[in-house]
Amino acid sequence: MDFDGHTVLRDLSFDVERGETFGFLGANGSGKTTTIRALLGLYRPTAGELYVDGRRFEPERGGNLGYLPEERGLYKKESVINVMTYFGRLKGLDKHAASSWSMEYLERVDLADKAKMRVDKLSGGEQQKVQLGVTIMGEPELLILDEPTKGFDPVNRRLLLSIIEERRQAGATVLMVTHQMDEVERLCNRVLLLKNGVAEAYGTVSEVQAQYGGTTAKVAFTGDIPDSSWYRVMRRENNYAELDLDEGVDEAEVLRGLVQAGVSVRSFVTGRPSMDDIFVRVYGGHDEPEAV
Amino acid sequence: MARHNMGTIVSFEVKRTLSRAGFWIATLVVPVIMGAVIALIVVSNTSAADGANSQERAQFTFTYSDASGYVIPAVAEALGGIPALDDEQSIADVKAGTLDAHFAYPANPAQEPTKVYAVDEGIFANGKYAAIASEVLIASAQAAIDDQSLATLVRGDFRVSSTTYKEGRESAGLAEVIPPLLLLLLLLFYASILLMGNLMATSLLEEKENRVSEMILTTMDPTTMVSGKVVSLFIVGAIQMAAIALPVVVGYLFFREELRLPYVDLASLSFEPWPMLVGTLLLVGGFSLVTTTLAAAGAIMPTARDAGAIAAPVSIVPFAPLWAGALVLSNPQSFVVQILTYFPYTAAPTAMLRNALGTLSAVEATIVIVELFVLSFVIFRIAVRLFQYGSIEYSQKVVLKAALAKRE
Repeated sequence: MDFDGHTVLRDLSFDVERGETFGFLGANGSGKTTTIRALLGLYRPTAGELYVDGRRFEPERGGNLGYLPEERGLYKKESVINVMTYFGRLKGLDKHAASSWSMEYLERVDLADKAKMRVDKLSGGEQQKVQLGVTIMGEPELLILDEPTKGFDPVNRRLLLSIIEERRQAGATVLMVTHQMDEVERLCNRVLLLKNGVAEAYGTVSEVQAQYGGTTAKVAFTGDIPDSSWYRVMRRENNYAELDLDEGVDEAEVLRGLVQAGVSVRSFVTGRPSMDDIFVRVYGGHDEPEAV
Repeated sequence: MARHNMGTIVSFEVKRTLSRAGFWIATLVVPVIMGAVIALIVVSNTSAADGANSQERAQFTFTYSDASGYVIPAVAEALGGIPALDDEQSIADVKAGTLDAHFAYPANPAQEPTKVYAVDEGIFANGKYAAIASEVLIASAQAAIDDQSLATLVRGDFRVSSTTYKEGRESAGLAEVIPPLLLLLLLLFYASILLMGNLMATSLLEEKENRVSEMILTTMDPTTMVSGKVVSLFIVGAIQMAAIALPVVVGYLFFREELRLPYVDLASLSFEPWPMLVGTLLLVGGFSLVTTTLAAAGAIMPTARDAGAIAAPVSIVPFAPLWAGALVLSNPQSFVVQILTYFPYTAAPTAMLRNALGTLSAVEATIVIVELFVLSFVIFRIAVRLFQYGSIEYSQKVVLKAALAKRE
């Protein structure tokens, strides 16, 4: 995929399995939205296509796909119910079905009393709820959600994630772009990390975690973490540090070494690196971990 | 699905356009002004007629002198007049207020003014003097004609029936009837451009401005979307035309005499199919070309304001034939008129005008109609392409070359 002579995406190919939630991850400007737009035919890629159920995606058969774009928007001067019913009809529902589905959804997201209000009279978060409703109506088989919880407060964020999860449990496949790594760990079966137009990592969450370090030790301490050949310090903030343990190193030996070096350890927890850590490592400009 | 979606789009677009106050304000401003003008004319004519009648009936005494010899004393006497012995004396009596008025009829009233001297009774009441002075002369003239029919002719109360021939054959009197109908098509064309230019330009812009393009384009084919928009513009245009035409029809049917509109015997109307068909096709073709052009312009621009910069010239250019109207009338084969006939954005109105005047040949009509419809289709396809690949360029103009050059 080229823009003005610059290659933005190169040989990018990935599969999203039926019924899974797929995390499509990347830093700002890494090409996530471009990839999605190219897949959907909104941009014309140099090469490549989107296949749904083995068939090339055609917008005219839009009932199969629900897309929540990064650029949010609705017909602002129309009423909420009119806009939802309109999109429902475009997705193949009859007027009554589209209208009643919309009212049920609005009840669910606590907007029923605003059904007849103009869209531009709603708050930004409320408009996003309506837009998510438009996206999932018609029970699409594939949901492509570009930062679906952007700008939501924790309560509404949880509500919307539960709605998305319900759709997945009902059989929909979800491809989700997000910068919320806790959402990724909680919801996604597999992920792809996009960097400089190529897939930096691709696989299940566990596989990617394994790819970016076997074991991480999260240490709360007082004193100075000494240099060691057993680990590398991935992160150090005041009295907290994350250590990437070298392969085969015994976690107990590391703890013992710290104590013997005079470090007062208040907690020492080992595990896989979090997606947040991996994200920072991949996109944070610290490709080479700090040597200790 | 495409047909279902197009019906949904047309219904949605038409309903929401008709539900906007701005649309009705723009639409009704013309009929309201026309209605106000009609009302003013009717009221003015009625009050003038009433005023003239009441003034004629107003009783006052007057003297008169008659150098022409046309005034019949009995007629003048019936209206309250007596012959003056001396003009100067009568004028002096008027000045003194002892005589209401004095009329001095000249030797040739058709060439010279009749002089009226009268006591001032206010601007409006003073009209009665001239009314009676005129009435004396008219009634005297009519009384001088023995034949009642001649008197009727003098009043101009008669009709004319014309039979015209073209190339040796009777042209069925359509010279009177067809041009007004064909010119009405031209009027509709101009009205639609003036009233709907902005609507056309912003029709494909709205999705972009509202950031709905991506959701729309992943729900349906862009051709369906643009087709639905264009069809809805046609429907809205038809409704707008009806709203404008209604006061004209009402004015004609109910206030024809007050408005002094010419009488058209609808029962005698015969429609010559060819000029009507040509006129209608030119109207539809011209409307299509302007609509698709403005829609395509809207698909390129990021905001309605930017689109307006293109909408203005596209809306103004079709009026060029009116500036060269005299030439179109007098010399339709001139170079300038030929240019106007075939240049796409002046072709429809120029050809409609020439069609109404009977100077558009069948070959010329065919070329222009084909040109309009083919160009409309080409620009429609361009508009679809621009909408498909340009409507997510939210904050910048679409680069035409880039949008059109890429493969499907």
